[in-house]
Amino acid sequence: MHKVWTIARHEYLVNVRRTGFIVMTAMVPLLGALGLVVASFFGGQASAFFERQFAPEPKQIGVVDHLGAFTPILPTHQDRYHLFADEEAGRAALKADEITTLLVIPQDYVESGQVMVISKGGGFSEAVRVDSASMRAFFVNHLVRDEVGPTLRQRLADPIEPVLVSLEGEGKPGGGPLNVALNFMVPYFLGLLLVMSILVSSGYLLRGVAEEKTSRIIEIVLSSVTAWELLAGKVLGLGVLGLTQVVVWLVSALGLSGGAASLLGVAVPLLAHSQVFFLGLVYYLLGFLVYAVLMGAAGSLGTTMQESQQLAGIFSMAAAIPLMISGFVVSNPNVLLLRVLSWFPLTAPTMMLLRLPMAKVPTVDIVGSIAVLALSIPAVLWAGAKVFRTGLLMYGKRPALAQVVQALREA
Amino acid sequence: MTQNMLEVRNLVKRYNGFTAVDDLSFEVYEGEIFGLLGPNGAGKTTTIRTVMDIFKPDAGAVQVLGQPPGVAKGRIGYLPEERGLYRDIKVLDVLVYLAELKGTPRPVARQRALAWLDRLDLADWANRKVRDLSRGMQQKLQFVAGLVHDPELLILDEPFQGLDPVNVELLKGLIRELQAQGKTVVLSAHQMNLVEALCDRIMLIHRGRAVLYGPLDEIKRRYAPNAVRLRTSAAIQGLPGVARTEQRDGVFTLTLEGTTPQAVLRTLVERDILVEAFEVATAPLEEIFIAVVKEASDA
Repeated sequence: MHKVWTIARHEYLVNVRRTGFIVMTAMVPLLGALGLVVASFFGGQASAFFERQFAPEPKQIGVVDHLGAFTPILPTHQDRYHLFADEEAGRAALKADEITTLLVIPQDYVESGQVMVISKGGGFSEAVRVDSASMRAFFVNHLVRDEVGPTLRQRLADPIEPVLVSLEGEGKPGGGPLNVALNFMVPYFLGLLLVMSILVSSGYLLRGVAEEKTSRIIEIVLSSVTAWELLAGKVLGLGVLGLTQVVVWLVSALGLSGGAASLLGVAVPLLAHSQVFFLGLVYYLLGFLVYAVLMGAAGSLGTTMQESQQLAGIFSMAAAIPLMISGFVVSNPNVLLLRVLSWFPLTAPTMMLLRLPMAKVPTVDIVGSIAVLALSIPAVLWAGAKVFRTGLLMYGKRPALAQVVQALREA
Repeated sequence: MTQNMLEVRNLVKRYNGFTAVDDLSFEVYEGEIFGLLGPNGAGKTTTIRTVMDIFKPDAGAVQVLGQPPGVAKGRIGYLPEERGLYRDIKVLDVLVYLAELKGTPRPVARQRALAWLDRLDLADWANRKVRDLSRGMQQKLQFVAGLVHDPELLILDEPFQGLDPVNVELLKGLIRELQAQGKTVVLSAHQMNLVEALCDRIMLIHRGRAVLYGPLDEIKRRYAPNAVRLRTSAAIQGLPGVARTEQRDGVFTLTLEGTTPQAVLRTLVERDILVEAFEVATAPLEEIFIAVVKEASDA
């Protein structure tokens, strides 16, 4: 056990100094800090800033009113909307950059609903702008200007203000779509980061093993410790390394959000999902164990670093499948395919890390995937250590599948 | 009392139907330098790896320091045939780590590593990365890596391979010194002159079997070609029992038949032939090696 500890400490100290590790670990706090700077630069409310980013509004808009319902423009809209006598005048103003968008409202607008939107760039972003809340308010206010009171007018322009309540009783007023998004996005990104951390630290294991093998030091090491001790020490050391990374990320996120960063809303969703957080940690550890051992075995099989990495690519691929379909996970976290992937040991850790923050995952999936992982880890460890031992001592040629199988049988 | 540091009994190791080591038995006594010889592919490295518990034997028994392989790892020093060190780690850290893996406490390992580095003129490099060292320095560092935990039994697989002449001398001196300190050394080698200079006992392996085993001087005597070498300026024709005479650089090699070196010397004295030098010829180990391997291959 002492030797496992010695190996773990060695692996930790060697890898914690790697440039790649330092860059990757520093990236998250740096991005967070950058976000803060950007947020404060845009004046206090970050949420307003984000809302502007997602739903940008045109600054000045010209209106050519063939219908007559928009003449004159109501005082509340006069600062941004300007009437033009005809399309020619409007186009001229657009060319002169006096306005960014020109709306031409035809006589039959009430029947057809069609509005010609003219802009310099045109295209998709313009369509999004026209659909914005303030534009909607502009139309509603003018169309019903004298018929209804101001409160109903406002309701007509923005009929739904969602308050999300889920059956688990965690429902609390979300405080707008942004907070709802953050509630989902922050744990989701945490899941993504954990997946990345698993892949990165098990990647170090692969690299370390391949290095020891190609540099031939492995025989000296194996004359001092057993293959099992070596693998266990490496997995332990690099596991703690990965945890270090995650802790740095979390502490920096909390630290940043403890100050002005709370306006970014980072900490709140995390703390609100303590159960997700705890389960996330469990899946992180289980996932790391599975991948680390597989990467260790793959590293021992290749004759060169490149060959080892190609072999390991098969496993990375499996881990990445949930990432590739993550868009799908966001919209349908409990669909059958994802549930199946949650029960398969190679994809279970990453799949569950992505699913957990999204919705109430069925308990049977949580229990089932943890059980599958808990059962497969000893098997993977046992087989991995055997393959590891065989692979490590074969220089110059990769063991054939038959030899790998033989190594497993000669336990 | 002489204790067996290593005992190998009827060892068999096969790979995919190929028998690399076939019923091999030998022992290594405490305090001796034991040579393991043989052509490439004879099974030397396989035998050593089995002793080191890197391979499991298919049959037979191995006892290292009185215990099964793998138990006394910390008391054995090993220099494998395939060598390497961590290139991106500092010299001192590599030595301390490898000694720690052998169970040496960290402070002790550090102290010993520094002493060894000092001894081999590498002290200035202790805090440099291994990759910065020249090839010769890395070779020296490699021996230290096998010694720094102060083992009782040293197993060196082809230790002289690829060494520059300066390091060959250094290593020879080191091996003798270790023996003088009471350590036991097992070495496998191709370089017969080095084996002759160092080993007390040897075993020659061919195709996984021992074809020659015993004390070096006894083997050399057994394979002595029954010849004498003498240096003289006189004519030496007509000596009884001399089958053949060869002359090279003023040295005569007389191949004897039906007589002994002692009888030849007596005849020379009786005839009052001036002899500057006289010795019983022994075959160089190299010749014995080639002869035995050839004989075994023909058999």
